[in-house]
Amino acid sequence: MTTTTGDDRLSDTFAALANATRRAILARLATGEATVNELAEPFEMTLPAISKHIKVLERAGLVRRGARAQYRPCALDATALEEVSTWAEQYRPAWEARFDRMDDYLARLSPRRKADPHDG
Amino acid sequence: MADDNDSRDAVVIERNFDAPVELIWQMWTDPEHFRAWYGPDGASIPVAKMDVRVGGSRRVCMEVQTPDGPMQVWFTGEYREVVEHERLVYSESMSDEDGNVVSPSDMGMPEGHPATTEVRVQLEDLGGRTKMVMTHAGVPGESPGAAGWRMALDKLAAHIQTHGDR
Repeated sequence: MTTTTGDDRLSDTFAALANATRRAILARLATGEATVNELAEPFEMTLPAISKHIKVLERAGLVRRGARAQYRPCALDATALEEVSTWAEQYRPAWEARFDRMDDYLARLSPRRKADPHDG
Repeated sequence: MADDNDSRDAVVIERNFDAPVELIWQMWTDPEHFRAWYGPDGASIPVAKMDVRVGGSRRVCMEVQTPDGPMQVWFTGEYREVVEHERLVYSESMSDEDGNVVSPSDMGMPEGHPATTEVRVQLEDLGGRTKMVMTHAGVPGESPGAAGWRMALDKLAAHIQTHGDR
């Protein structure tokens, strides 16, 4: 099952988008690939700070980095955006977490019902 | 099937629970049980009022801890379908603590978030176990801007496409 991974990814995407600097970086990358140095230019931020933002975007699958060792230009990957393109999808991780808790709660209510092999 | 899931504007989650259908029904309709699982991690549900009959109202308060202290978010709604142990449908809107509906954008939600959403819970008795299908959907028509959140992202995607073509 890859659902959990998908949900985690979705959470990452939303977390990544919930930041003005990162959205600005995405907007810049929409005009073409750029190096970290180029991306840092418009911001009053240190390179490590910008790199951190780029790592968040990378983890969310929104940005790809090139392999060329020296520059490793960043490019936009729009596929992750398609996954979040309904308002409703933002609720999926919250519901999944709720039903996990419901499961736990049910197990607590009646420990006998669940002969959990993982117990102990 | 009565409703074809318009999955574009809905979350549909299917789960099987190792508990009888009567108990899963109570998870949704008994405030004490509901409070035990509904709140997000680190949040609590100080108030859950449920008049579980068609036309009956519900009000839920969620209290989340923020760096600025506890913050309460209220939801109000109405039960639309109540078929015991089988099907529960209720509407949900953000509100103040008196149950007056407030607009999602006033609550800091993205532009175009539907003012009213609908939660549908369909239960199936599997003999001691229960299959549950939960659908959380925007209520169409009521909020013409409901697609705004999607549109904003579509716009961004289109922008990317346009510029990426060069």
